[in-house]
Amino acid sequence: MNDRLSFYRKRNSPVHALNPFTKLILVSALIFYGLTAKGFWTATLMVAFVLLPLALASKLLKEYVGVALKVILPTAGFMFVMQSVFIPGGTTEIFRLGFISVELETVQRSYLIASRIFLFISAFVLLLLTTHPSELMSDLTRRGLPPQFAYVIISTLQIIPQMQAKAQTIIAAQRSRGLDTESSFFKRAGLLVPLVGPLVFGSLVEVEERAIAIEARGFTSTRTKTFLHDIPDTPADKFIRWTLTLFIIISLAARLWLS
Amino acid sequence: MAFVNLTNVTYKYPLTQTPALQNINLRVEEGEFVALIGPNGAGKSTLCYTLAGFVPHFFKGELTGSVEVAGMQTNQSSLHEWVLNAGLVFQNPFNQISGAKYTVFEEIAFGLENIGVPRDEMKVRVEEAMRLTGISDLADRSPYSLSGGQQQRVALTSILVMQPKVLVLDEPTSQLDPIGTREVFGVIRTMAERGMTVIMAEHKVEWIANFADRVIALHEGQILLDGTPREVLTSDILLDKGFGISRYTSVARRARTLGLWKREGLPVTLEEAAEGFKNA
Ligand SMILES: Nc1ncnc2c1ncn2[C@@H]1O[C@H](COP(=O)(O)OP(=O)(O)OP(=O)(O)O)[C@@H](O)[C@H]1O
Ligand SMILES: [Mg+2]
Repeated sequence: MNDRLSFYRKRNSPVHALNPFTKLILVSALIFYGLTAKGFWTATLMVAFVLLPLALASKLLKEYVGVALKVILPTAGFMFVMQSVFIPGGTTEIFRLGFISVELETVQRSYLIASRIFLFISAFVLLLLTTHPSELMSDLTRRGLPPQFAYVIISTLQIIPQMQAKAQTIIAAQRSRGLDTESSFFKRAGLLVPLVGPLVFGSLVEVEERAIAIEARGFTSTRTKTFLHDIPDTPADKFIRWTLTLFIIISLAARLWLS
Repeated sequence: MAFVNLTNVTYKYPLTQTPALQNINLRVEEGEFVALIGPNGAGKSTLCYTLAGFVPHFFKGELTGSVEVAGMQTNQSSLHEWVLNAGLVFQNPFNQISGAKYTVFEEIAFGLENIGVPRDEMKVRVEEAMRLTGISDLADRSPYSLSGGQQQRVALTSILVMQPKVLVLDEPTSQLDPIGTREVFGVIRTMAERGMTVIMAEHKVEWIANFADRVIALHEGQILLDGTPREVLTSDILLDKGFGISRYTSVARRARTLGLWKREGLPVTLEEAAEGFKNA
């Protein structure tokens, strides 16, 4: 089985050394600014001049570009094409293909949305690449996030590949008993009903057992939790967080003022 | 006063009529290794949950009588305090992984984080526990990438690191292959030899005969027999009730009716059987 169930790539870089909460604030600020800024090219420029340099500084340029090209670009590109073609409303027709007409205004709007989606996803990818999920959760728990909440997030992140593996096992088992899972979509959809039972019922029993297992490890203890990993929070971290917060407030205020 | 003390314990799961445990009286001394045997539905798991405090704190229902470990009673203590009294390891190794940690080391430290053990002490305790159970070399692996036997040893270590006063095990090897079984029993034996009080539901009678100080046979929620492994595992009382019986016992019992087994008692293990037949 895959030994690496998280995106995280360990490197010795200044970005990795930042406190996880600082990175979360950084990513949130980037996304917030990118999504609200009025400029047509803002999101694009932010990817080029903020995210790419950050990836370079994290010594993860190759990994970041890889994910961007293989996952994010196809997603954003698909949305761009679909919206350009199917959403009507522009006046300046660029070309017409039968009953479909593509207008300049829609293309521009679609590009804006696609570039923002690109920014949004890639900022999170960068966060996940440079931040160990359990450190992020430990840090947030230490800052007051309820441990149950952190637990749900992190175990969900981990459990997805597990569920996939289990579904595969059940499918293989059903197929060996004659279940046809390879013909047409609708036929398959109907025949997959037998899969739901074991997956859901199995999961309920598992949920109970897992609840017992984490209770047995004192999860609901009322004592103040401690953390295995020391997660540094330097004055530089605090400075960055305050600067970003201030920056967002000022840019919001300026926008309200000017509009 | 014994270390573990169950007095007139009767328990019904919610919405059920027949009690899963009926009038159980049980005393276990410190350092004893007790095995629980019984057919399906006899109440082994329920008794384990009761010792570990999950009855009545997790499984509601109706509990009467008292359950006491090291002078504390389950119904007067909360579950998260009780886990330091009795640690529970159960069948499915996969479901005992917290799912919140990425390495075995972190997984084992999880319980200590929850109960607020200081970081330096935490590291020392995790390392020591891993050495004891022989899994130090797995420290940096993902708990999900391990074999069943390895996962179960991680689960066991995760409980041992919390230093419970009693170790409760519910068929810890029932989902493991023979290699995994041997690994896990090896660790349990080490713990017992170090003086840990162990109560284990188990149906592998040959292992029990080799390890346990005492065997308790449960049947329909009641204690049917309580004695040394030999007394209990070879008793005729267990016949026709769905108990797992060693094939060596069965062979010798058959041989006895044919006059081929001349010894007083019946054997449980291969060695005893071989010995008995050699002198016949
Ligand atoms: N959660 C539950 N709710 C209601 N009844 C239950 C529950 N769990 C077990 N029981 C019932 O309690 C009785 C004892 O079950 P228990 O699981 O303790 O037996 P067991 O000896 O562990 O059996 P097995 O060998 O199958 O593990 C059975 O009659 C069972 O049906
Ligand atoms: Mg059971």
